This record gives sequence, C-alpha cells and structure tokens, in this order.
Amino acid sequence: MKQVVIHPERCVGCMQCMVACATAHSKTKSLPGALGESPLPKPRIHLGTGLYREGFPNRCRHCDPAPCMMVCLPGAIYREEVGNTVLINGEKCINCATCAMACPFGVIRYHEDSLGPPGKAIAVKCDNCIDRRARGQVPACVEVCKCGALTFEEPSSSFKRKTDEMARRVSAGAEERAEVASPGFVLMNVLKRAQVELSGREA
Amino acid sequence: MKHAIVGTGIAGTLAAESIRRVDPNASITLIGDEPYPPYCRPMISMLLEGSIPPERMAIRGANDFRSLNIDLLTGERVSLIHPKEKNLETAKGKIISFDRLLIATGADPVESKADGSHLRNIFTMRNRRHVEAMLEVMPEVRSSLIIGGGLVGLKAAHALNRRGISVTMVEKLDHPLPLVTDRKCGYAVARSLEAMGIALRMSATVAAFEGNGRVREALLYDGSRISCDLVVLAAGSTPAVPSIKEGRIRMGRGILVDDFLETDEKGIYAAGDVAEAMDVISGQKKVNAIWPVAAEQGVVSGMNMVGRNVPYQGAIGRNVVRIGDLDMLSGGLINPPPEGSYEILENEDLRRKTYRKLLFEEDVLKGLVMLNRIEKAGVLLSLMKRRMPITVSKERLLDPGFDFCQLLPGMQPSATA
Repeated sequence: MKQVVIHPERCVGCMQCMVACATAHSKTKSLPGALGESPLPKPRIHLGTGLYREGFPNRCRHCDPAPCMMVCLPGAIYREEVGNTVLINGEKCINCATCAMACPFGVIRYHEDSLGPPGKAIAVKCDNCIDRRARGQVPACVEVCKCGALTFEEPSSSFKRKTDEMARRVSAGAEERAEVASPGFVLMNVLKRAQVELSGREA
Repeated sequence: MKHAIVGTGIAGTLAAESIRRVDPNASITLIGDEPYPPYCRPMISMLLEGSIPPERMAIRGANDFRSLNIDLLTGERVSLIHPKEKNLETAKGKIISFDRLLIATGADPVESKADGSHLRNIFTMRNRRHVEAMLEVMPEVRSSLIIGGGLVGLKAAHALNRRGISVTMVEKLDHPLPLVTDRKCGYAVARSLEAMGIALRMSATVAAFEGNGRVREALLYDGSRISCDLVVLAAGSTPAVPSIKEGRIRMGRGILVDDFLETDEKGIYAAGDVAEAMDVISGQKKVNAIWPVAAEQGVVSGMNMVGRNVPYQGAIGRNVVRIGDLDMLSGGLINPPPEGSYEILENEDLRRKTYRKLLFEEDVLKGLVMLNRIEKAGVLLSLMKRRMPITVSKERLLDPGFDFCQLLPGMQPSATA
C-alpha cells in the first residue's frame, strides 16, 4: 500500500507542506479562504530543525501497534484498516494529553480543529489526507513538496531506491565518479553547517 | 486453552483482546466485581463534574466482547484463587477453572485513620460507584473538603469547583502534587488552583471529622476547623491483592512479576496497579499505578499468556494534568535523592509561561518536569525509556522546539559527503 515516505536529506525547510496541510484540513480548502476561517486551520505536519538548521518534515507514522492508541483514555484513537491510518475521533477525545506522553515522534497537537467539534480543543494529528485519498488525490503535503522530500509510494520501492543508491556509492570505482545522490541538497546542508560553525555558536 | 482474567480495568481488557488476537479458539473469561462493563477509570472525575454522561465512559462498544467471544462476567468478586487446583471461586459461589490466569485487580483507595471517618458523606474516589454515591448526595452539598493534594484530589477539587461547590484542599506537604512534581511546579499548580477559587491548606493534616451522623466539620492538627458537608479522601491507593490459597507467589507492595509479567506461580500473571514490575528509572521492581502502564502491561501479559514470549520493557512513571490554563507533565525521577549524582538542567521562560527541568545521570535522561508546551514530551519520555545516551548538548532538550531529528546520526551533513 502506498504511504507517505519522508526523505529528510532533500528537505530545504520551506514549510510549504505545513501550509498545504493546513489548507487541506480547512473548511474552504483554499488558502485565501482558510486564512479567513475561525479557528485558523493548523498544519498536522511539522517542520523540525536539525542541529544545523536543516529541515525535517515530521508527521504521524501511523505506527502499528500505535502507542497513542494503546494509552488513549476514552478510546478516541483508532485504526482505519483500509488505509492503515491511525485516526482520532474528535467527539470522543477529552483533550487529556495522555497521547502526548506516548508519541515518540511528538506529532500530536492540542487545539480546536477546523474539521472537529466546534469550540472544543482536541488532539489533532495527520490523517493521511483520508478525504483527499477518497477523491483519488495524493496527500496534500506530498503534492506540494517541490524537492522530493515527501513522496507517496510503496515503502518497499523507496527502500529499494535507497539500497541501490548506497550500493552504488560503496561499489568499486565510486570514488572516481564521486557520485553523490543529491548534490544540490548536500551542498546546501554543508553551507548551513558551515554558517553555524563559523558563527561560533550552535543553531 | 482456558484463560481467566480477574479485573475489568484497562489491563484486563487489553489482555483479553491480545489473547484473542493471537488465538482465535482460546476460551477467555473476564471477571470484574463492578456491575458495569469495562469503563475508563480516569474519567470518573468528569462524571463527578457532570461534563460527560455515564455511557461515554465505556471503553468498548456494547457488543465488542460478544463479537470477540470473550466471556464478560460483571458483578462477580473473586474471593479466592487456588493456584494448585488452577481454579478460582467467586463470592457468589461460582468456580471457574483456568490454564492461565491474569490478576489485574487494580488498587484500592487508602482509608482515613482520622476519628469520625465513619460519618456519612465521607467518600473515597477510585471507581464509578464511589462517584455515583457522591452524586446522590450532591444536592445537599454546599462546601467540600478534599484530603490529599495528589492527582485524584486535584481532579476531585476541579470537578466540584466546576459544579459551583466551594472546595478546600488539605495536603500534608507544602505544595499540591508532591509525588509527581517539584516545588516550583507545585507552587504554580497551587496558584492556578487558587485562581479558580479553590482554597488550599498546605502542610496540614486532618485529625478528626465531626458531625451528627453526617460530616459537618473537619478538625486539623493545628487546631483550626473547616466546615464541610462532603469529604473526598484522596490519600493514595494500595494494590488490591486478591486472596490466594497457599500460593508461592511473592509479594512486595504488589504482586511481584518477572520480565514476562509472570508471578512465581507458573501460568499466573499480574498486570496493572496490582503488579510490581520492572521500573526503567530505578532499575528495580515498583508499582507504577498509572493508566498507560496498566495498558502496556495488559497487552504484554496477554501475549505471554497465549505463549508469545514478549519481554516487558519496563515502566516509566509519568503523569499529565491540565488545570485551568496550566499544563503540567512529569515523568521518571522528579525529586532525586540527595546522595545521587545527577545533573539537573532548568529553564524558565516567564513570557511564554513555560518551565522545564531535566534530570540526567551521565548522558541518560532520567526525569523531567514541564509546565506548558508539553506536546512533544513523548519524544523525551521515549529517550528515557530506551535509556538513549544524549549525544548533543543537553541544553537542546530544554528548548520546547527540540526535535528528535537532532539525535539522528545520519541527519548531520558532513563536509566529505
């Protein structure tokens, strides 16, 4: 089954995935419309910052077994089996933050949600764009990503690509060809690191 | 294979479901002394507040157990377990035999030793029946007294306050939540409670309750009196160990279990608030009477009962409370013993109203306390659980924006790539 795969080495930290995610989970589904909504739609994908200000798109892994689902007090977190997506029932959620203690990736947020019950703060996280998927679209963060840091594919094919890349790099003769998987991104991240190190303090 | 599970809390419920997931043919009997099907115990304070109807407390649908072919016996108290005969007796005289047994009987509230504790309108708050009894007398209640500033006391105080009842909280130590938070955080919680209109009497102990049949007044050791017509005893809990006949089962505070949550008696397991299992932080066996630990142990014990060898990774004590505009979260070692050699990092941001304290033993995170911006605490708790050495500067973990990608070795670009 196709899933969103993250390739952090290609992330430039532009945060377009966050904007697209917030828009996709708004009432109006358009950026100008979403900006006028109350509550303001919020993203379910979060851009983390690495040691040298590299970007890292962080979203729910829909773990199996899911630690958040196991500890949820009112049983509001459940798995939608078809798309293998961990979902939160906003009506049942009591906003107790027990799932905040369970999620090892820190991807759950607590606020009123545009698509949730009005006037009630609830736990909100990635839903794999279940509505868009039903309409035959790919998840919004993938659609908008310009750098290939987020792809929607079979995890096995993504693993195979990574393995092949690694194999080529360590094979005989690799040094002469000096092959780097994504030279532009490597250059950018090296520059970011140099900037931080030259400034004499950590990011 | 016949499985019997005593206790319909979250540990028992998840154990039953785990067994069923692995073995579609096993016979599973889930026995509970309460008259209701499994419900969410931490939510009883919401029932007291009146913010949810009782039916919202059920953790499973009405037909879930039937459809999984799990035999649910409610209102049956197990009176005696015979490990040798491999059966158990209920108070109503039923005999149930088993090949594997899980004891998940939870914990009982600690009763008060103060004089006059027999008076009417003095309640403990541990299960749904306790709250229903409180709700029955609620119309006649104007002022209430909470004994104990722990989590249960705090939730009771909050619920009664929301009902418009005047609340006074008495706590032995000098701040609320003494076991799950440090002094600084405790004081912040105290201010938050007082802002809600809850009166606090810290460093105080009740000597006696007085009243004519029904409680009217509490007398403190310092000689002062507090009038009240409802008292909630929230002075902690103790494992509810059932009677076991000539067992070889070793006990500590609770029932001692090994790394597979099995007791000394082969085929008999324990999980949840009644079990004394490995604790990650202390490296010793300990009762961690919290819901998430009961849930984890329920799943693991179920897997082991059905023959999968799943070692329990160990518990971490952790708690989160939300009162008013304050979020408080803590985990692991909070108030370290003076003889230990711990490195403590603290950060307070008055503008953002955040506070974080982290406790390290060498490179490993052992404890944390935080106020507000708690949403990514799971990352830190997961580092604690896996005893992962922190390879970057520890101050980074104090930043609410700390992201786990900073710990991934592959993420750091090198100039030679």
